[in-house]
Amino acid sequence: MENVGALSLILAFCLSIYSVLASLVGKWKRRAFLVLSAERAVYAVWALTTFASGLLVYALQTDDFRLSYVAGHSSISMPRIYKLTAWWGGQEGSLLLWTWILACYAAVAVFLNRKKFRDMMPYVTATMMIVTAFFLCLISFPLSPFEVLAVGKEVITVPDGRGLNPLLQYWTMAIHPPTLYLGYVGFVVPFAFAMASLITRAPGDAWIHTTRRWTLVTWLFQSTGILLGAGWAYAVLGWGGYWGWDPVENASLLPWITATAFLHSVMMQEKKGMMKVWNMVLVSSTFFLCILGTALTRSGIVQSVHAFAQSPISRYFTVFLAIGIATVVYLILDRLPYLKSESQLESVLSRESSFLFNNLMLLASCFSILWGTLFPVISEAVTGEKISVDGPYFNRVNIPIGLFLLFLTGVGPLVAWRRSSFESLKRAFAWPTIGALVTAAILVAMGVRSIYATMSFALSTFVVWTIVTEFWKGASAIASKSGQNILRAMVELTHRNTRRYGGYIVHIAIVIMFIGFTGSAFNLDATKEVGMNDTFKLGRYELKVKDLASGNNGHYKWWHSPVEVYQNGKLIDTLTPEQRQYTTGDTASVVSIRRRLHEDLYLNFAGMTTGGEKAVIQAYVFPLVSWIWIGYWALLFGTLICLVPSKVKYQFAKTQVMGVVSGKEPVVAKS
Amino acid sequence: MRSHKWAGVLILSALAMAQVSSELITPEIRRVGSRLACLCKSCKNSVGDCAMLACHYSKPAREKIRDMEAAGVSDDAIVASFVKEQGRQALVVPPNDGFYALAWWLPPVMVGFGLALIYWFILRMRKPGSAVVRTGVDAATLERYKDSIEKDLAKLD
Repeated sequence: MENVGALSLILAFCLSIYSVLASLVGKWKRRAFLVLSAERAVYAVWALTTFASGLLVYALQTDDFRLSYVAGHSSISMPRIYKLTAWWGGQEGSLLLWTWILACYAAVAVFLNRKKFRDMMPYVTATMMIVTAFFLCLISFPLSPFEVLAVGKEVITVPDGRGLNPLLQYWTMAIHPPTLYLGYVGFVVPFAFAMASLITRAPGDAWIHTTRRWTLVTWLFQSTGILLGAGWAYAVLGWGGYWGWDPVENASLLPWITATAFLHSVMMQEKKGMMKVWNMVLVSSTFFLCILGTALTRSGIVQSVHAFAQSPISRYFTVFLAIGIATVVYLILDRLPYLKSESQLESVLSRESSFLFNNLMLLASCFSILWGTLFPVISEAVTGEKISVDGPYFNRVNIPIGLFLLFLTGVGPLVAWRRSSFESLKRAFAWPTIGALVTAAILVAMGVRSIYATMSFALSTFVVWTIVTEFWKGASAIASKSGQNILRAMVELTHRNTRRYGGYIVHIAIVIMFIGFTGSAFNLDATKEVGMNDTFKLGRYELKVKDLASGNNGHYKWWHSPVEVYQNGKLIDTLTPEQRQYTTGDTASVVSIRRRLHEDLYLNFAGMTTGGEKAVIQAYVFPLVSWIWIGYWALLFGTLICLVPSKVKYQFAKTQVMGVVSGKEPVVAKS
Repeated sequence: MRSHKWAGVLILSALAMAQVSSELITPEIRRVGSRLACLCKSCKNSVGDCAMLACHYSKPAREKIRDMEAAGVSDDAIVASFVKEQGRQALVVPPNDGFYALAWWLPPVMVGFGLALIYWFILRMRKPGSAVVRTGVDAATLERYKDSIEKDLAKLD
């Protein structure tokens, strides 16, 4: 079986190389059958990687411990669901998952465009298959998931595997990696279309219109993956942190930030024909940051909590990134005349300007995170001395940037395209600004002394006010004209321009998340050694340890301690934090959380005291943290609305670059 | 039932699951600990907020802080002693001197560079100013027209 699996991956690698060559030769020599053959090779690559993935999953399910990967990441006692998730629990398997998702995306992109963009598609196919070939090369040669355990030339087996890290045996972690990969890998498709557009010097914005939904869907997957990871960290790691600024977490955030910048600046290209070079840079940066993130996770370049074991693949990634970036830079520079703006900025007070600032701040955040992540490596290379760059650095640099971005989220919708006057801005900003100031004053009067927290809540008010006003104004106009009630009118308004109003809902979601993040300024915690019936206080809660119980379910031994929660002397809940010791010897905490909209009470059974008489309970109060998860659902809702076609199609008058006469200005056509 | 409970406690202690002490997380220890990085390689927290009570780096570090505080050593001197032992990686954030200052200064410099780029872009992309035409139209009428234009432009969204 392992030979068949390995062979199918090598065959897929060969076919991906064939697909690249056939696409390019077919295009250059105008041989349509070669182009078609290259596209069919994409389907074959998908079939072969699917087959190989199926074999690995089968090996995991049947405890085939002859395979080194199965022995290292699965065990007999693991539930079936976690035997499946062991597919992406280790280096080789997760690279196979990555490759399989990439092959799926490539097959879908080729299938959906089988009759469209015939000029561009050979290059799209070639680009996607180059990336696929790179990953297939990794899992075919240095990191094969089908490697067997052997002594000399004899294949051996072990009675039981090591099992999956217990921390990964949690439902959000079961779906977090595939979701994140769907986001990471998905950016290959817009990138491939962008490259094809550059290579063919395609007129207009065809690649943008084609890939808009791809971009949004992959961005949604990235967002979902990041939030699932945060949710897992919050509920599993035992200290309530949902974000630790670990290099691997940062690596997942970087492409999300550039993708967000791209989603904004792409509107400038669609509506005004501006920022074409910039959009190329952003879509390429997003793709390369996805690859860089994968490299950081797997190469051991930076020290990370999440990283897979160190492996020899960093030089593969370095070569791939170097060649890829050099090619893209060359293509952009060579095609600059085709990327000229088709219109001009009419005023500094315009939506266009606000997008420029939005992009600047997003990129500043991206740069500072990348800089902080790589600084220990750079500093060690330059000075020879190790340095720590931990959470406080990232918070200090990124909180001001984040607040300015929040401010821009409120400003953007109020500024008109092309130009706005001071008078109209004054009118539009007056009430939201008053609302923000009143919020700040109330908070200060209530005793809030954190400047950032006050600013965050005030800016949240400002943004919500501007967006609600936008909805209200539009819906009132529809309601007065059609006689519909205001809620129905809001639905109608959103349906008329789903992108705009879906985007506003996403902005609201971001505000909701900011409210959740800001709650961390008021966190409380206590770590107490408590015996049975001992009590201790945390904030408004009084906690009483009632019991200590233990058991064994064959997969792990457990110990838990029911803790009664009192408020004003009244029993309001009983929480049961737990410790587990798995058959593999690993231990894990299962925290108990009382989730409420205003705050979570979070208990962790940290262990026993040295004498063994008392339990050590870590108790935390996390104000407003639930709003982060609520914000995600709003983000999901808003993004799905953006994906729905608008009822009214808007046309934007602009010019298009149709071609370039050698040595002259671009030839433009007005539409 | 009662014996069952205590059996649980005994098993717990016998396994020595996480034999810890919580007394080392006082506000004073946390104050100094928040300036020092936890170098356990399993987290990115500071010694002050590392949540692993039995952490092989933070636990002895907290003990050291407690002992030095008890001996009347100042916060700065405690931090300096950690730096002397572990090098500058003992600090939770890079120091703001020499090459390390780049960690702090480069992000704002890049924002400044970005702002300069935007300024250049705006200068380059802006339409040349149109000549002012005196029409004799009164200010109120002009304002009404401007409002009307803005409403029309808003529809472009």
